[in-house]
Amino acid sequence: IRVLDFTHVLAGPCCTRLLADLGADVVRVESSKHPDHPWPSAYIDRDGRHASYLNTNRNKRSIAIDLKQPSGNKTAFRLAAVADIVVENFSAGVMDRLGLGYENLVARNERIIYVSMSGYGHDGPRRDWTSMNMNLQGYSGLMTVTGAEGDPPTAISNSWNDYIGALHACFAILQAVDERDSTGKGSQLDLSQFECSVAMIAPLLLASAVNGTNPPRQGNRSTRFAPQGVYRCSGTDDWCAISVQTDEQWSSLGQVIGMERWGAETRFANVAGRRQLHDEIDAQLQQWTARYSNREVEERLKTRGIPAERVRRINDLVNQPDGATVFTQMEERRIGSMLTTVLPFRFSSGTLPAPYPAPALGEHNDAVLRDWLTLADAEIQALKAQGAFA
Amino acid sequence: MARIIELTNLAGAYASRLFVEEGHDVIRLEGRHGNHLRELAPFLGNEPDPENSAYHQFLNAGKKSLTVNLDTTAGREIFLRLLASADVLMTSCPLPFEDSRLFEVNSKLVFVKIEDQEPDLCALARSGLMSLTGHPENPPMVLGGHLAALATGIYVAVAAAAALRTAAQTGKGLTATVSLREALETFVEQAMVEYTFSGIVTERRGSKGAITAISGALPCKDGHWVISQIHRPGRWTKFVEWVKDPQLAADPSLAEEENQIKKRDFILDRVFQWSSQHVKNQLVEEAQERHFPASPVSTTLDLIHDPQLQARGFLKEVDHPRFGQIMYPQGAVASMRRKELTPAPMLGEHNREILAEMGYSQSAIQSFAASEVI
Repeated sequence: IRVLDFTHVLAGPCCTRLLADLGADVVRVESSKHPDHPWPSAYIDRDGRHASYLNTNRNKRSIAIDLKQPSGNKTAFRLAAVADIVVENFSAGVMDRLGLGYENLVARNERIIYVSMSGYGHDGPRRDWTSMNMNLQGYSGLMTVTGAEGDPPTAISNSWNDYIGALHACFAILQAVDERDSTGKGSQLDLSQFECSVAMIAPLLLASAVNGTNPPRQGNRSTRFAPQGVYRCSGTDDWCAISVQTDEQWSSLGQVIGMERWGAETRFANVAGRRQLHDEIDAQLQQWTARYSNREVEERLKTRGIPAERVRRINDLVNQPDGATVFTQMEERRIGSMLTTVLPFRFSSGTLPAPYPAPALGEHNDAVLRDWLTLADAEIQALKAQGAFA
Repeated sequence: MARIIELTNLAGAYASRLFVEEGHDVIRLEGRHGNHLRELAPFLGNEPDPENSAYHQFLNAGKKSLTVNLDTTAGREIFLRLLASADVLMTSCPLPFEDSRLFEVNSKLVFVKIEDQEPDLCALARSGLMSLTGHPENPPMVLGGHLAALATGIYVAVAAAAALRTAAQTGKGLTATVSLREALETFVEQAMVEYTFSGIVTERRGSKGAITAISGALPCKDGHWVISQIHRPGRWTKFVEWVKDPQLAADPSLAEEENQIKKRDFILDRVFQWSSQHVKNQLVEEAQERHFPASPVSTTLDLIHDPQLQARGFLKEVDHPRFGQIMYPQGAVASMRRKELTPAPMLGEHNREILAEMGYSQSAIQSFAASEVI
């Protein structure tokens, strides 16, 4: 499957990385005039590639084309005409102005699957709004459903929406390829990243639609289990998450923290009672957790079958033996090797492509033109002379 | 159209809903008392009832409900016979069969196994996502509304869709194993890159962003709005002209992205001083006119009335058999595919229909019901 990748920043490139990880031939259309990086990172290689680029754009090829130059624009159009999938995440209207919009391409290639991944979608009153991840965290409701009653909006310190948009787009693309296999026709997918993020809390939207109120913000507590919370431990800004899910676990908790009498008190006997007395329980539990490191708290509770996990920071995930398993070392010719993210699933039918380094700008100009368009060297030279590459 | 049978929790329920949004036939297999999704608050109409959970009503929309008791021999037989007609089996719990038995019954089956499930709070603490969420002066915070579980569900859907293509190409079934723990870990990859390349440990920043230089939810007269100002040549000057803050204007070095990152809290504090005197809509409109990425901060109640969600058909007014005329969230894929979903099924609503289609006689179905096999 050939993917022509016009995307930039993070949501689009992350989607095409997923496709590359599943085995697609992803060719990024890039230009030295608009160097791309998913986010500014401190490390920049001699060739201008940011650390963020190296992780997000691995397993792809790069062709550097000047889309505003006639021969460059025509080359991009020819590549799109033989692509299975075109993915772009420009603002609405940009690809049309470049002559690379869906209508133009489908006239030439009726099997094309054309994917736009804008912030709000290409229609509706917000189609021209510009947006970044943090805008969508706020607008999608994520910030107000996270946190406890009375907290200010609560954000995640990452580009959450880009990942959510990328994953939805990848799923829809795989389905569109299946559909094309049976109908012979491609499709146009106009994804709204905003809608993808709203979908993650759609059950709460539905509750608001029917009940006419905002569901209460739960903080770290649960409507089904009690006690549940994130408790301060003895280190600096050191925390452990604890979620008591059954009455047996409740009675074990009392034993572990020296509150055996809790087991005999009927007011704590069920979740409803414990939810009502949550503050009282938390005060005792907090006194106990404050005596130990989060690792010790976790161990003492886990050995008694009580669900507990210390709050890990990224350095814990990278360095500790029981840290993250989704990151893997990849050889990287610019720097020797680096840690990169792989897919969190595996197939019994065989292995998925191994990670390989992100391309240099225009590294695959000749190879892609030969592979996709079967151009001869002389034709490629002619394009160069015409200034197609940038 | 594929047939998908699923016995799953939140992540799998969202994954299989995405298949509904694409127009596939999804059967949700439940025990006699229903899956725990039906117990999750909030409840529609504020009435705790297995049919009223907001999670059930959203995640199971467009699916069929079949209640089969897999502890009975007859129940297991029904399951295997149904499996023969399926393209995908998606589970997040152990089945009373060896995996090999499933493929004996259906050699082309895509078996999606969802693994490494933990309680939400613990899973988020373990994954590192919690360390990125919450206000610095308060404990790290779980993501609200089980949204992280739904997010991992998109990976389940991607794995299932990719496995379906493999099965179609090879003519052979396969198992796709999805780790929910690893799925959550992927969402901290930015922090991983920052740490491994620069030694920076990303922390929770409350309402403020950590990636874009000037980014966060700031108070305004009537709530909060979000500005997320990306660095482009000339942008800063335009921004300062708009905000008209003398302290920001006095420091020309802030035009450099590097300095913006270093002084992001100072800049946000100045912008906050200014924006708290203005109303949300005015701030957002003025920003968008100047091409500054800005948006309101919404509650779920605000979103029900959102013109964009309504215009694109993400939200559609439906006449729900239980709740009457309501704004119903169709979903991000359904909106793109212009699909409208039917309401979530009542517990066991499709027992008779599915069993009759499988060839069981009316009397056999009666006796299954009488003996609590279904």
